[in-house]
Amino acid sequence: MKILLVDDEVELVSAMAERLSLRGMDVDWTDSGVKALHMAQNCGYDLAVLDMKMPKLSGLELRRLMSEKCPDMKFIFLSGHGSEADFKAGSAEAACYLIKPISLEELIAKIEDCDCNG
Amino acid sequence: MESSSMDNHESLRFFGKVSASVSHEIKNVFAVINESAGLLGDLSLMAEKGMPMDPERMKKVATSIQGQVQRGDCIIKNMNKLAHSTDEAALEVDLTQVVELAVALSTRMADMKQMRLSVGECAPAKVVVSPFKLIQLLHGATSLALDKMSSQATLAFSVAEGDDKATIILSVPGQGINLTCDEALEALAADMDATACSNKLDGTLELSFKRTV
Repeated sequence: MKILLVDDEVELVSAMAERLSLRGMDVDWTDSGVKALHMAQNCGYDLAVLDMKMPKLSGLELRRLMSEKCPDMKFIFLSGHGSEADFKAGSAEAACYLIKPISLEELIAKIEDCDCNG
Repeated sequence: MESSSMDNHESLRFFGKVSASVSHEIKNVFAVINESAGLLGDLSLMAEKGMPMDPERMKKVATSIQGQVQRGDCIIKNMNKLAHSTDEAALEVDLTQVVELAVALSTRMADMKQMRLSVGECAPAKVVVSPFKLIQLLHGATSLALDKMSSQATLAFSVAEGDDKATIILSVPGQGINLTCDEALEALAADMDATACSNKLDGTLELSFKRTV
């Protein structure tokens, strides 16, 4: 399973990618929604973990654009916000929605769940 | 809704908006610290199992954690200043200091639109105002200006002094953008015995106050 992590917090997304890689996962990362779209243009990823709130392209917009291109791609949203509206929007649009700071074990469980369901 | 109730609601909305933005930033700070500490734990476990440990890698992660603690401290200090701006109904304030605080509190709003805020030349002007309302006025003016700007543009703040008034000037250098005022901003300024208006000659937005010194 190939995973793309997207978050505008560089230190967060790079550390998360390194930790998942140490656990044997195949992970790429970027801090930009636009770069993420470019990286995923050939549908080389099975799952994207997206921050909800990012400059220029939000996680929800990015999810829509990626899904149009790669209909089989799965998504997990991350957010620092705990608002009811964000939770409803995120839960409706993705396999799951995790609130920062996340538990890596919980993220891995969700990733594995996506893998099983896929 | 009566005027005073409306004013209170707008003030609460402003406070809520800034609080939501600050809480989001703090969540990100915690999230980075969480992952960096987790990474240190992972690397330590690997070292225990005999994998070589790179001291430079460890130092880099530790520096990241220290940087995030400083970032969080700065965010909390600014939030604390906003909270205490409600302590006095009117107070003599240094306009530059309030502009710097308002810019710090509005930076995330600009970041999300891929725009920048900068504080330029500021004359040492003091005025007597409600500190909270002044920050609210600056936040409202910033929001209005950002709506007129394009991605990657910079909104500049400066303070100028005249014989009897001090003026905060918002401008977008080199973009040919004419910043405008609206009724809500004019009303908020009038409530502080100040004026908010656009300068049609140079496209700036000006907030003027009676000087005390």
